[in-house]
Amino acid sequence: MYVRDAMRRLVSPGSYILFLLFLAGIWLTISPFAMTTQPSGTHWIASTINNVTVGVIMIAISLLGILGYMLFALRDLIRETQSRQAIEQQAVESPVDQ
Amino acid sequence: MRTTQPALGKYICGMVASLVIALAGGWLILAPFALGYQPYGADWTSQTVNDFVMGISVAVVGLASFALFFYSLLGALRAAGVLISAPRPQPQVPVQHPPMAAEPQASALSQSDLDRTLATLAAALAADLNARRQAGSDQKSDQPVDQFVNRSET
Repeated sequence: MYVRDAMRRLVSPGSYILFLLFLAGIWLTISPFAMTTQPSGTHWIASTINNVTVGVIMIAISLLGILGYMLFALRDLIRETQSRQAIEQQAVESPVDQ
Repeated sequence: MRTTQPALGKYICGMVASLVIALAGGWLILAPFALGYQPYGADWTSQTVNDFVMGISVAVVGLASFALFFYSLLGALRAAGVLISAPRPQPQVPVQHPPMAAEPQASALSQSDLDRTLATLAAALAADLNARRQAGSDQKSDQPVDQFVNRSET
């Protein structure tokens, strides 16, 4: 199997969308500071706490989703390849008389 | 008879992540009003606008991601034979049978034996593949090949 085919099986279209949501989580986390709605040098206000919390959750969940999908797909790929190799090896060791 | 188990973990993982993120988007829409940092009756603050727009976007994109993973899951279930797609109605085309030619009886008998042998071979091969997929890579057994050879010899 070529690297391109393997990558296609490891990264689904849904994973690309999860990556977009990962970027959205980064923006949510930094938005109170980028938009200067959080006063400098004071305790965090309610909107800052909310945005940072939701942003961090989104970053963590999207990364877990992407990596989880890749790990499960990699496990399936390895099992499939090992099964195919075992069948081929068995066919070579004991060919069927025609 | 053992059957193959479709690998569904990756789809469920993506679906759960997408659903949680879509719910987070819903919370972002409600948060300015629930937490009270948007004054009632006043113009929306920049933080409220940011949260509302991001919440709608995240909810929609999260649901789209959920739908993608869900359709992939359905495709995998169809490929594994768990789900069967509804057959499309096809127009009945009249089939013109060619006139039956008188074949020798010996030829018909040998054809029947060949069909039976091929069916046995196909069943043995399918059972062997199913057993190997279930057993995994680390369990090697010589029995299916022996059965395969024995059946082919018969």
